[in-house]
Amino acid sequence: MRWLFIGLLVSVGVTVGVASPDLTFMSTQLRPITEAEWVRTVLLPPFTEETGIRVVFLGVEEPELTTRVLAEYEAGKGSLDLVGDLHGNFLVYYKALKDLSAELSQLEALGDRTLAKTFVELGRIDGAQVYIPWMQATYVLVANKKALAYMPSRVATEGLPYLTYDELLEWAKNIYQATGEKRLGIPAGPKSLLCRFLHGYLYPSFTGAQVKKFNSPEAVAMWQYLKELWEYVNPAVLTLDSMDTALLSEEVWIAWDHTARVKTAILERPDDFVVLPAPAGPKGRGVITVLAGLAIPKTSPDPAGAYRLIEYLTRPSTQAMILQGVGFFPVVAEAAGAVPTGGLKVLADGVAAQSAAPDLLVSIIPGGLGARSDEFKKVYVDAFTEIVLRGRPIEEVLAQQGALLDALFRETGAPIPVPDVYLP
Amino acid sequence: MNRTQVTRWLVSEKALPYWLIFPTLAYVAAFFLVPLARTLLLAFRTDDGQWTMRFFVRMVEDVRFFDAFKFTLILVAIVVPLQLVTALSIALLVNTRFRGSRSFLYICAIPLGISDLAAGLIWFSLFTEHGYINSFLYTLGLIDKPIYFLSMQNLGWVVGSIVLAEHWRATAIVLVILVAGLQMISRDYLEAAEVFGARPWQKLWHVTLPLLKPSLQSALIIRTILALQTFAVAVALGGRLVPVLAGEAYYWYYLYRNANVASAYALLLMVISLLLAWGYLRFLRPREVRS
Amino acid sequence: MTFPRLQRRILLYMAVVAIVLWVLVPLVLIALAAFTPRSELYRWPKRIIPSTFSSATMSFFLHSYGVVSSLCNSVVVALLTLGMTLVVGAPAGYAVARYVFRGREAFRLGILMTRMFPTSLLAIPLIVTFIRWGLYDTLIGVAFVHTAMALPFAVLITSGIFSGVPKELEEAAMTLGCSRLGAFVRVALPLALPGLAAAAMFTFVISWNEVFAASILTVRNRTLPAQVLASLEAAPLDFRFAGAFFMIIPALIFMALARRYLFQMWGGAIAER
Repeated sequence: MRWLFIGLLVSVGVTVGVASPDLTFMSTQLRPITEAEWVRTVLLPPFTEETGIRVVFLGVEEPELTTRVLAEYEAGKGSLDLVGDLHGNFLVYYKALKDLSAELSQLEALGDRTLAKTFVELGRIDGAQVYIPWMQATYVLVANKKALAYMPSRVATEGLPYLTYDELLEWAKNIYQATGEKRLGIPAGPKSLLCRFLHGYLYPSFTGAQVKKFNSPEAVAMWQYLKELWEYVNPAVLTLDSMDTALLSEEVWIAWDHTARVKTAILERPDDFVVLPAPAGPKGRGVITVLAGLAIPKTSPDPAGAYRLIEYLTRPSTQAMILQGVGFFPVVAEAAGAVPTGGLKVLADGVAAQSAAPDLLVSIIPGGLGARSDEFKKVYVDAFTEIVLRGRPIEEVLAQQGALLDALFRETGAPIPVPDVYLP
Repeated sequence: MNRTQVTRWLVSEKALPYWLIFPTLAYVAAFFLVPLARTLLLAFRTDDGQWTMRFFVRMVEDVRFFDAFKFTLILVAIVVPLQLVTALSIALLVNTRFRGSRSFLYICAIPLGISDLAAGLIWFSLFTEHGYINSFLYTLGLIDKPIYFLSMQNLGWVVGSIVLAEHWRATAIVLVILVAGLQMISRDYLEAAEVFGARPWQKLWHVTLPLLKPSLQSALIIRTILALQTFAVAVALGGRLVPVLAGEAYYWYYLYRNANVASAYALLLMVISLLLAWGYLRFLRPREVRS
Repeated sequence: MTFPRLQRRILLYMAVVAIVLWVLVPLVLIALAAFTPRSELYRWPKRIIPSTFSSATMSFFLHSYGVVSSLCNSVVVALLTLGMTLVVGAPAGYAVARYVFRGREAFRLGILMTRMFPTSLLAIPLIVTFIRWGLYDTLIGVAFVHTAMALPFAVLITSGIFSGVPKELEEAAMTLGCSRLGAFVRVALPLALPGLAAAAMFTFVISWNEVFAASILTVRNRTLPAQVLASLEAAPLDFRFAGAFFMIIPALIFMALARRYLFQMWGGAIAER
């Protein structure tokens, strides 16, 4: 009993909180343990040296960050100074964020950096500059070199091959016929980015739009293709949120995933993998650019300090450091020339090839859905579950889910996204 | 009643139980009444104040609802009785005080300290395609290709692996309660039964089990309520394949940010839990122990 | 009659060994995996015992930000929860066991209802309240929530325990001159101690493993599960094993400590008659 009481006394003493005069930087990006440690031991110390401000970096999942920012906004008092998140997520809670137009002008006045115009524009929501662009990433194909032997012969093998979706299907089929194993992988677990593959890669490649042609003959053809493709996908992907483990254990030989999520595999064995541009469909090579940004909550205790950190993180030298350190690509033109060495070069080459594709069709994750952005994702994933996993008739499911999608856009008043706007 | 009568009642023997339960009641009210009220309102009312069943309809029409409902009930129906039998057997085993029974009890209680997320990870690494079970079978030459335990074609195995993982993780909860209950059954009763010529099986059935009813009831209620609320293991092993109600409630609230449908799920879960708890309380009513 | 007894003995020990293996094998596998070098972890077929052991992952993990301090935080929160839960809940359990009062069944069912509620719907609305009351990001705040979560079970268990203590013993003590409180402390409490220890252990474990409320209600003063799990998500396999193993160790240690205490009560209760 004695130690119980002593424990209680000690704990009461400890719970008296001490206020700390440093910055709290909470981010959904760079949160896996190796990346977070890199941030703490490599990225942030030079900032602390320069300014004397200590930064506490906390990596959390998207729903948690959203919940916190909104809660602090509602309570009128907060502890988060700076927030790092993805464009798509900022759209949910942008009302709680400070307008950074003044800070943006200050940054531009420094003259040593040019933030990509399109990205700065994206950060402008409802007339306010909700975030400053920070880093970018995309989704690519990663192949184990073992798989290259089975690639369809007509694919040009000089440099990195530009595949079509039909060629991808053939490739996976070849592997299956030769080895009896299903070695294609697309993450389909509950926290995976499957929805992005569906609305940002497949849909634009086959129909030319993310949303507008949800229920259309082209979409039906697309889903038929996916059903066929899924025959050659490793069944375990339904429980996997990312492909790096599967790639390393060779349960999967060809994977589609986010650059940050396949990075581990590539860094572990750079000589075993090659990164390829995403495939193209009848209407083009649909890709999504993932944009991460930095924002200051309205309830931030130290907005001035937060701005200094933004300034540091958007410096060309820091941007190059980020690329070299964690494989996230810069958003400032001055750092565009930076090429990482080692395993990351494999990644960068693939991304560069993808960006240089002549038939590139860039999609931006739809904005303006606000709090219901995740219902948007659910529509595509549910359609997938019904059509591909449960074999329900395609037209029926598209009609049902399409109705939900229409209602969603109507009720939120969200604008038509890119590239749908370019459709006649 | 006038003031002196009230005061006298307040300090009387009759009022004692109410004083004893007061702290708990106040604490629980402070933490739950408001969220409970909010949930009820959210589930039945739209933002602009209209009463509606729309959210329940949305919940039931959802692609995953039927599966979630089915799997939740299947898992509870299999896991809870299985754990009860196992825990009871272990508790009785321990009660025979064989040599090393203390260490045995310690080992069996270890899973208590393991969070459901860690347990999910451990069992995932056993059942995955390139996991330990497949490696083991392959090395022994029993199979020449890994078995896809955790895939859609093998849904039975997926549910089975969840049952195993949950059983492994949570039997200790039931065990600890039953062991404590067994310890408190005075040996007098058992010795008296022996004097009357009762055999071990009869002692078990007529003396031990009835006296164990309060603990059995506690254990069953606790385990069932917890089983209905946890989903970490189901997610780790089944991912999208095995939705459960608690998981859906969580995703709708936290991920899809639709508090209304999430509240509908929460209320459904509560109703199921209430029915089961009421059943347990009714049919396993403990009686006061008499010498 | 030694032959059947020997058979029974053998069966008993076989059952014991089987159960022990069932419990320990997954843990041993995880322990081995935590110390396997990353390259070997991805090999097929997986070797149970790696060719070399590497503490690289574990030491990286241990030295990474906040892991050790979150361990202390977890202990503090669990102890606070334990104290508060028993102090508030045990009297209620006693009341339910001993007295038949109006509203008793409603009370029993009522407090259980609180646990039939998903934690997320409970904890998230609390954030705003906690911020306003200055409880946000404090250990005592988390302990308050954990106590609320553990109370229903504590009351349930203790009421079951106390109803197993014969009323007559307390009444006998009172006829011999003890006050009600005295009878409780000297007669009922010692006999109920094994059960109370079970309730205590249960409460500690609930608080220790609870992750959602703990992570959503703290920013810097995180408990171990909250700290570890955020960084484990999307982490490579070797880190996840290391993290899982690391979370198990304190539980093992606690069990070892609690076991001595629990068994003291066990031996004591029997000797006291």
